[in-house]
Amino acid sequence: MLRKILASPQTGLALIIVGLGAVLTFFAGTHDDRLTGEAVNNFLNSHTLIQTATDASFFAVMAVGATIVIISGGIDLSVGSIYALSGVTMAMVLRNSGGDAGAGSILAGLAVCVGVGFLCGLLNGLLVVFLRVHPFIITLGTMWILRGIAFVSSKAESILVPQSLTTVAKASLGLGASLYPVPMLTMLAVAIVGAVYLTRTVMGRHVFAFGGNPEASRFSGLRLDRIQISVYVISGLCAGLAAFMGASFYGSASCADATGYELYVIASAVVGGASLSGGKGSAISAMLGAVLIVLIRQSIRTLRFDQNYEWIIVGCAIIIAVVLDQGSAQLNARRLARAAGKES
Amino acid sequence: MRNGVDALRFVGVSRTFPGVRALHDVSFAIASGSVHALCGENGAGKSTLGKILAGIHAPDAGHIEVFGEAVRFGSPREALARGIGMVHQELSFCENLSVAENLCLGALPARRFFVDRAAMRARARDMLASIESPIDVEATVGALPLGQRQMVQIAAAVGAGARVIVFDEPTSSLSQGEAERLYLLIDRLRERGVTSIYVSHRMDEIFRLCDAVTVLRDGRHVATQAVSASDEAGLVQMMIGRAIETMDAAPHRASSTDEALRVSGLSSPGKFSDISFVLRRGEVLGLAGLVGAGRSEIAQALFGLDPLAMGEIQVAGRRVDLRTPRQAMALGLGLVPEDRKRQGLVLDMSAESNSTLPVLERLSRATFIRRDEERALAASFFERLRVRAPGPDARAAGLSGGNQQKLVLAKWLAAEAKILILDEPTRGVDVGAKAEIHALVEKLARDGSAILLISSELPELLRLSTRILVVRAGRLAGEVSRESATQDGLLRLMAGLAA
Repeated sequence: MLRKILASPQTGLALIIVGLGAVLTFFAGTHDDRLTGEAVNNFLNSHTLIQTATDASFFAVMAVGATIVIISGGIDLSVGSIYALSGVTMAMVLRNSGGDAGAGSILAGLAVCVGVGFLCGLLNGLLVVFLRVHPFIITLGTMWILRGIAFVSSKAESILVPQSLTTVAKASLGLGASLYPVPMLTMLAVAIVGAVYLTRTVMGRHVFAFGGNPEASRFSGLRLDRIQISVYVISGLCAGLAAFMGASFYGSASCADATGYELYVIASAVVGGASLSGGKGSAISAMLGAVLIVLIRQSIRTLRFDQNYEWIIVGCAIIIAVVLDQGSAQLNARRLARAAGKES
Repeated sequence: MRNGVDALRFVGVSRTFPGVRALHDVSFAIASGSVHALCGENGAGKSTLGKILAGIHAPDAGHIEVFGEAVRFGSPREALARGIGMVHQELSFCENLSVAENLCLGALPARRFFVDRAAMRARARDMLASIESPIDVEATVGALPLGQRQMVQIAAAVGAGARVIVFDEPTSSLSQGEAERLYLLIDRLRERGVTSIYVSHRMDEIFRLCDAVTVLRDGRHVATQAVSASDEAGLVQMMIGRAIETMDAAPHRASSTDEALRVSGLSSPGKFSDISFVLRRGEVLGLAGLVGAGRSEIAQALFGLDPLAMGEIQVAGRRVDLRTPRQAMALGLGLVPEDRKRQGLVLDMSAESNSTLPVLERLSRATFIRRDEERALAASFFERLRVRAPGPDARAAGLSGGNQQKLVLAKWLAAEAKILILDEPTRGVDVGAKAEIHALVEKLARDGSAILLISSELPELLRLSTRILVVRAGRLAGEVSRESATQDGLLRLMAGLAA
């Protein structure tokens, strides 16, 4: 059992995250808690940890969708724009429907976000399938189109969302005050659902087959159009859900939300071991990839590096992480092959 | 026995890949100016030996002597400098570039910074002239048929001054006519004193072409002997390490009269036209024809892969609409395609997932795959077909050609296909697996399946088929019964010569 866990592809990434966490804990130093006066580690405290997970959660949710698209051999550059359009649409709908209706507002908001995400994903999927243009081009186009729709319809204002949404997104769930675990739990739930979809369902297996070899999939009687459309729909749904979380958590939505997120999202999937040529990837790893990227950003703050270097450091870290992952995959393959050779 | 010098001598050559001992202490010599066959089952190490010679791999132990001089190559370039060239199994070209550009790619003639196109074309023409090939040097390589691409590769080796050329299964994807031209070229090279090493497991070629033969098995040297002192059964036995049933004389089958598939006037623009035939349960209907005659295109149209196909298809007496592979599957058809790596398998997926790919829906409840049932189904077919894999989770890419082909067969057996279309089911498959696949085809027919068998290997068609249809240039050129079919007669029909 232990060996099985150690051999799983997520272990390497999880170890890197834990290792980086340990290093941060060691070098972070302490501060005195204002209330109790106890010394508290600057990194290893519940507030910072949950804050880091919260930062990761919004694009980790999208990274799960993106990793499914990438496994199918596609790419979705429009997720940041779907996020913005979903958030803005929800905020406008709720503003126009009058005041805060509590649970009704929450459900309506969720429905609008997820619905907009679904429609945008469906649009991407249909365009990819019926225009037969590479998804990079299609989603590059819809990235600007959807952002533009969000811009025009919101008139570039930042729109407040009803308080009850924020109350839910910032619920402490019995943890101490100023601890907000809801986004983190959503991220975990989405990653688990994504993992189950990919590893346990017929559709998930078809996504791997299509990404690995579309021709052989066609010769095996798979419905390729349906597979392709559904991966973009899933990606859109994830973006819509992330937008609901984000807009609720921060209390407002604007057309400039999540600008550039598509690249963080793709980076998360790739750091999580997804292959851009299709056929490889994991939902849990994509989430861990998102956490790792946020943790690297966090470490710049914790270790008091010059924040101006953030982009340079994150860029280097992404390349290093992918190279390390490839190296360890090769080592692993060689080890397995040696073991197989000994048996025979 | 050998006249004159040895062109090559392998001395205790070993090479290990992760998990596989590909070569173990292999020693033998190759006479200068001879055509030397290197044969063995897939995985016996013959391609590895060729690659070591061509500088693609380095040996872990032992060495090679070229004309008496011990050498060690770090790259194909160093090997070529010593006069050793290679013609690969899977041709490696920049398909988007011209013949001339490919031929000169290693050393593009340049004036200062710019490519000297005229000099490049002239040099390429010289190289092609050295093997008397009339290929246009300005043609894009990707647009040439496979046989001509191979000629370009041979020209590259000969033109660079190679005295030893390694041919790695060169005819595995050539048509009969193209293969004949290759044999003639190798004969001419021999007359000019070029030594050829011919990696193959096709017996007819070895006896047609080669002077001596070396057999490898499981990475070890089994024997090196003159071809004149060898016979087919003996070689096969050395290759697989045991005797197999004789290859001829298929048991006679009583062909049932139940009609499985009736095709009337099937046409597809630019591919084939007016194809009509009947396939009955319990029979193996052969489909012969030259490469490019439209055999695979017909097979794919029958499996719903050709949206432009027109004509009438009846399955078990009912007229059906075949527009997608899904419809074809629902009607009990299965297609083992021509190119198993491109069309048959998802190489990155496990052996097990590949074999269950067409039937996952059947193995699932509310879209969740029932893993235990999947595992049991795959295991039963792996056992029945004797798929040799490290385990059900082994990647399909890591299996030998024969085992990969069995996986593709397993897919359609798992799907319970009653009408099986087999397109080159034994291409690139080793002797042992080939015999197993032949036995399976016969058993399936006996058990009532209807089988349409496409093959470029006439002996295979003659052995397995109850009747043979011949396609030429997209049309049916004739039908030959098993009793009256001969290789020569089929070839004439395929090529359109008078009988």
